[in-house]
Amino acid sequence: MERISPHQFMTLGSAVLLGTTFLPVASIVTGVGGRDGWMSVLPGLAAGIPYGLMVLSLLEQYPNKNLLQISEILFGKWIGKITGVLYILITSYFGGLLLSQAGDFYEVSIMSLTPIGLFFLGGLLLVFYLVNSGIEVFARFSEVIFPVIVIALLLNIGLSLPRMEQGELLPILSEGIKPLFWGGLKVVPFAMEYILFLAGILTFLPISKRELGQLKTGVWRAVFLVGILDTLVVLIQILVFGPAETIRLVYGLLVLGKMVEISRTVAGVESLFLGVWFGALVIKVSAFFFTVTWGLETVFSFKGLKWNLAVGVFFLVIAFRFQRGPSLIREIGLIDDYLILPFVSVWILTLWGVSRWKKGAGVQ
Amino acid sequence: MKSNIGKERKVLLITILITCLLFLPGCWGKREVEELAPLLGVGFDLGEKPGTFLITMQFARPKKGASSGAEIEERTFSVEASSGREAIEKISKVTYRTPFMGSLKVMIIGEEAAKAGFKDMLDFAQRFAEFRRSMYLVLAKGKAQDILNLKTRSGLLPAMAIKNNIEGGDELSSFPTVRLGHYFTVLSTKSTAPILPVAKSVKSGEGLEYKADGNDEAGEIRILGAGVLRGDRLVYFLTDEETKGYMWLENNVTQRLINTIDLEENSTKYGGHVLNSTTKYKVKANNGKIELQYQIKTSIAIDEILGLKKQLSGAEWVELTKEAEKSFAKVIEKECESSINKQRELGLDFLGIGRHIEQKNSTYWKTIKDQWEKEMADFPVSLEVQVTIHHSGMSSSSATNSAGEGQD
Repeated sequence: MERISPHQFMTLGSAVLLGTTFLPVASIVTGVGGRDGWMSVLPGLAAGIPYGLMVLSLLEQYPNKNLLQISEILFGKWIGKITGVLYILITSYFGGLLLSQAGDFYEVSIMSLTPIGLFFLGGLLLVFYLVNSGIEVFARFSEVIFPVIVIALLLNIGLSLPRMEQGELLPILSEGIKPLFWGGLKVVPFAMEYILFLAGILTFLPISKRELGQLKTGVWRAVFLVGILDTLVVLIQILVFGPAETIRLVYGLLVLGKMVEISRTVAGVESLFLGVWFGALVIKVSAFFFTVTWGLETVFSFKGLKWNLAVGVFFLVIAFRFQRGPSLIREIGLIDDYLILPFVSVWILTLWGVSRWKKGAGVQ
Repeated sequence: MKSNIGKERKVLLITILITCLLFLPGCWGKREVEELAPLLGVGFDLGEKPGTFLITMQFARPKKGASSGAEIEERTFSVEASSGREAIEKISKVTYRTPFMGSLKVMIIGEEAAKAGFKDMLDFAQRFAEFRRSMYLVLAKGKAQDILNLKTRSGLLPAMAIKNNIEGGDELSSFPTVRLGHYFTVLSTKSTAPILPVAKSVKSGEGLEYKADGNDEAGEIRILGAGVLRGDRLVYFLTDEETKGYMWLENNVTQRLINTIDLEENSTKYGGHVLNSTTKYKVKANNGKIELQYQIKTSIAIDEILGLKKQLSGAEWVELTKEAEKSFAKVIEKECESSINKQRELGLDFLGIGRHIEQKNSTYWKTIKDQWEKEMADFPVSLEVQVTIHHSGMSSSSATNSAGEGQD
């Protein structure tokens, strides 16, 4: 059985949680929370902490089992299977949508003449290789790529500082804290995507007491690291574009990348940033690919290359179905808000509640 | 068995890498640099047909046999079109190269087009990813086409001359620098009126004398003053003094050349340069009324003193420096006041006073924002200018011929 270390769990979790959230997050939270939207990012993502800890407490109680197996134990076979099917459907559909985003952001920015299918195919090939290589290789891949993503983000943010407009963040909290609540609610689905991944990866995590403690710290660290990064991304966009333009820009960070200029000499470095964003996207799509394969194995005992190929084809079909950028962006938002958020929040909470109740009542 | 799996993986990896290498390096649909026509400047004027614009595009053409690769010649076209894309299509038919927008430095809005509104023309620049929001936006006094077709005496292409003027503008701080992204940001602020610098072609004798190249055409481009807009429509050209006032109040003065020649009350006049300047503002209650107070702190070095008739003693030198501080402060106040008065007269908040109030006292702003255009006319604004003279140059006194010396 493959195992990943607590450190790998932390970096992999951070990479999955971050994914490509830095691309739409500014537009989403500013649209709801206005110029104070940046304050809602960290609290919104922090919802991932209690949920992550609940998942790990279930791991403690049911070692070497993923949440689908635990669901079958706690809810009974059929409800467990239905939950599993929902899990597979949501993760496979969402994974396909994310793959489609690779085509969208490349086509809209720097490679408008390349057939969109090549981005899907190229991305999927990398994802496929990672999935076939196993979770250890995927974790190591994240350990290498995630720091590069962080550095690229910080560079993009740092080099955009000279473009800041005066006083765009002010006034602070002029509309009270209500908009922050709504902004936070828009970010919670990002945390729930991470929990979906966590639900499946449990069987690959170490289970000794010391390591469990490290895993819990890993959840905290991942959430705070990504929360701070995404907050900075929103902050810089509001500071440079102002709130109204931040809402309008579909991929504001790409526009920032195009504005980077060093000493009026170095410019046009957005392609470098885009290469890194592609790495982030591959990690996120791979995570969802993994969740689908784990789901299929747990619920239907389908596993092996044949089924991986089938999942890949399904991802491609979904990606090709959403070649219209606006439809894709809207669909991702809808799935996040109306499927992933309610499904994960209810499922994990109920599972954890039932396990506590059964433990308290001494029922096995 | 294990080694077979290992082999399979290696084959899979190699296949994936080769496939990625073939399809993902971006060579698909590539355009070689020599196939591109780098666009340097775009001008918008009103077209003859209603709903159209006369769009002028200035491309760079590398000079054949140039001593360095950076030498370029102009290739300028004007077409009448209803949209940016239509103009590109028409021009592409003759350029034989694909216009490349990523190199665009300046966008010039002609006077008539600016008065009629030009928002739709900028939509292309906001959406199409090749454009960079860091390009400069200027208004033209007259037609943008005339400016882009001008033969400058320096040999620079007009688009590059304007870009260089703007980028060197920090040394004068006498006109605002507006990038496309900044314009979009200000445009989104309901209360603030956008402002753009004004470029004008200058013939010899129009405030500047030079030896013309045997024709009556302008050979220089000057950036002077600014235009105030209501959204995307030009309303008024600010004078040089009003624009300089704007620069002080907006904390945009980096360096500045300044003199007190126009001050009537003093017989001694000063010329100097601003070393640094900071403008802060406060929104405070004064006798129960909310007011905005600007605080300008400036350091100036005296470069010339006119009308000094005698050798100064040490004490007089110190006193003269203090007098100069007062004189410079008066000049700054005058420039700022002319700008504030113009804002009140126009009813357009190009100084962003509404935003300042919103930033410092959002509760009060909510009570006045709906009638801000009316409120602006008598909203109290005060100024506090503090000038510090750092030095008076290499000499304590002007060269004078003191009475008695050299005379019998």
